[in-house]
Amino acid sequence: MSTVERTHTLTDAVLAELAGIVGPANLLVSDGDVEPYARDATPLFRARPDAVVLPTDTAQVSAVLALATRAGFPVIPRGGGSNLAAMTVAERGGVVMVLTRMNQIREISSDELLAVVQPGVTTAELADAAAAKGLLYAPDPGSRTVSTVAGNVATCAGGLRGLKYGVTRNYVLGLEAVLPTGEVIRTGSRLWKDVAGYDLTRLLTGSEGTLAVITEVTVALLPMPATVGTGVAYFDSLADAGTAVARIIGLGVLPATLEFLDNRCINAVEDSNHLGLDRTAGALLLFGDDGPDTHVATSLDRMAATCDVVGARAVTRARDVVESDALMAARRCSLPALARLAPITMLEDVTVPRPLLARMVDTIDTIAAQHHVVCATFGHAGDGNLHPTIVFDPHDGDARHRAEAAFDKVFHAAMDLGGTITGEHGIGAAKRPWMAARLGEDQLALLRRVKSAFDPAGILNPGKLGS
Amino acid sequence: MSAEPSSGAAAPATTTPPPPPTDETPTRRGIFDPALLDACISCGFCLPVCPTYTLTHDERSSPRGRITLMRALETGRLDDDDPTLQEQASFCLGCRACESVCPAGVQYGHLLEQWRDHQWRGRHVPPIALAARAGVRVTPAITAAGRLRRAARQTGAARPDATAHLMLGCAERALFPTISRSVLRLLPPGVVDVPSGQGCCGALHAHNGASHEAETLAEELGRRMPGTILTTAGGCGAHLASVLGRQRVQELSEFLLAYWSEHPDAEPDLGEIRVDGRRARIGLQESCHLRNGMGVSAPARELIARVADYVELPSAGSCCGSAGTYSVLRPQDSRRVLQTHLDEVEAADLDYLVTVNVVCHRQMIGGLRRSRSRTRAIHLAELLAQAAGRSTPDTRD
Repeated sequence: MSTVERTHTLTDAVLAELAGIVGPANLLVSDGDVEPYARDATPLFRARPDAVVLPTDTAQVSAVLALATRAGFPVIPRGGGSNLAAMTVAERGGVVMVLTRMNQIREISSDELLAVVQPGVTTAELADAAAAKGLLYAPDPGSRTVSTVAGNVATCAGGLRGLKYGVTRNYVLGLEAVLPTGEVIRTGSRLWKDVAGYDLTRLLTGSEGTLAVITEVTVALLPMPATVGTGVAYFDSLADAGTAVARIIGLGVLPATLEFLDNRCINAVEDSNHLGLDRTAGALLLFGDDGPDTHVATSLDRMAATCDVVGARAVTRARDVVESDALMAARRCSLPALARLAPITMLEDVTVPRPLLARMVDTIDTIAAQHHVVCATFGHAGDGNLHPTIVFDPHDGDARHRAEAAFDKVFHAAMDLGGTITGEHGIGAAKRPWMAARLGEDQLALLRRVKSAFDPAGILNPGKLGS
Repeated sequence: MSAEPSSGAAAPATTTPPPPPTDETPTRRGIFDPALLDACISCGFCLPVCPTYTLTHDERSSPRGRITLMRALETGRLDDDDPTLQEQASFCLGCRACESVCPAGVQYGHLLEQWRDHQWRGRHVPPIALAARAGVRVTPAITAAGRLRRAARQTGAARPDATAHLMLGCAERALFPTISRSVLRLLPPGVVDVPSGQGCCGALHAHNGASHEAETLAEELGRRMPGTILTTAGGCGAHLASVLGRQRVQELSEFLLAYWSEHPDAEPDLGEIRVDGRRARIGLQESCHLRNGMGVSAPARELIARVADYVELPSAGSCCGSAGTYSVLRPQDSRRVLQTHLDEVEAADLDYLVTVNVVCHRQMIGGLRRSRSRTRAIHLAELLAQAAGRSTPDTRD
């Protein structure tokens, strides 16, 4: 990240206008009031915004954006603030726009298999409301209890069910969004089939708040699977677990869950959740499937047998849904649990083609050793999506520099294998330095032209995603 | 966006970017224990369980946001007098629900105590907090109040052969004396004693910006009552446990379950609680410090289910808004937090709502009375004593 000049100090006239739009209670300006909005879940990035607004309807969002374009100050949209790429940090000052007070579930339709929600509804609230009607909202990012649905759309959040169910983009049917110039547009619709116009829904999905502010989301739901089964296999090494993953997928099994943790993650999670995991194993593979009872039983049998063949030290099954849920919950908190190891946890998000997973894991180990950093790795094995996490103490000399140098190597290694620098967390401010290497100059230039078509004044989350 | 000052896009592919400006290694003022403050990684897992975040959906009043504020105070980015610091240190209920879901193991309760120690000094101490701290400091006054109200009679110096020493609690013995009397009716004579000269445990001080005095008071009480201390209030119990060690403290519900299971003959013949000729419908309002501080949650439910139909309320485990002195310091916010619980009680059409902590008990009695509910708040000890047929519950103080 570069040190960015802050050029936008809001005038009293602008602040008065903002107060008029959202109401004085929904405008924060004092140092203390904006301080909590100076950072999100990304370590090492912090910048105090000039002001924070918490709009309560689309009209307010529109009026604030129109004012921003007119007066020329940045607006940074924010949901639950759980992103890991510094997407909501106000590097250039301006106004952080918090959408958590727009948090109504408008509709859950069993007939149409869809839900319509305001942007600030959390992923878990949507999933629970759908489940109450026997429906499944499939995307389930690790931060689902905190993250908002619109935030998931803006980052195209992934999660633990990617292999079988895909990611957020596969479920967004339509959006209401406000352009930086204030116009309210509706992209897509309530229809599964609708190809009128460019697919702006997909363009906004993963746009990291640089093109428009999402004010309503229509998502597709699925019938709730009859049952869920989960198992755990322990291996001597992550590479062995990677081999098992390749074999499982090679069999034509498409499981709902295929997650792995290395030894450091196993111990951190066990410290946090006390599930009785084998602390001595080199790697843990969490496998699971959902669907009709017989399908789940067969699927788990095949995966367990495959793990045995590859040389698993032990294979166990969750006895019931409660135990399954506990295992999934433990996996979801891998990252924060690793925080127990050192004050700073830097998490990365490289993805490689599935058959190269074991090789990437080896490469990460080698790089970590070369740079003398403590690296724990977990991730979505079924998606080839790895989360190598380096933990360090900021007071330990050049620990931070070594961590950054190691990750630079990891990113290039992933790209050399045909992979990417981020599978599901996004670019934000944190991953900018590697964008050109990943996308190439021509594509970056096109990206900027797209940005200026949406945002001629360049006010919406400026600087993020290479804009 | 040609204004981009130094887009990484232009950087050579293998160059490590320069480190961003950071406040992870700044000078510290020493207000907070650095290890405690460093433990939070701002993942935000705490947001959905925080009662004040749920009310506001505003990061300022979330545990993560408050830790960001503490860090700003610690590093001098914000002054002691900053109004947001003052407001948020006071708006927090201190329920510690955030700790129960924190994968990083952040000890928020201790951080809050250190924050209030610093924040609530000099002119910034809320007068009511000051009065409350002073009021419970006077052991003879507490003793007199307890006697006057006929709380369990004190039995002299702590007996070494007692399985546990019953702690009377300052507010409880004055306001709800039947609770301690009920406890004695649930156990064979001599199993617990009630040592004389008990002072305040200091929980109230810990939550109101005087954690040093809080520790001294707990240690004093620990000396007067050597061995296991039995408490009927989660707030007192969690504080004592944090100072004296968890193994020194037993809360009533966990104690009864364990004792009765080890000594089946000692268990009184618990009958059924009946209302209008049918088995009663009974819910629970947990104590935050019992649940989040001592990790005791299931035993009260199990005990209620032995004597009535237990009804799980959606918010049974979240703060009712009483929060020590909070309901006195911030009555409006306290009632906003309480309202959800009252609504759930009405929707569930309960006969009784069981409490396991004195301030929650007082909060629920007041709330249910104001909303003209038919449901009665009753402490777990009183309910069980009623089921044992040895006492008439007196839920109205």
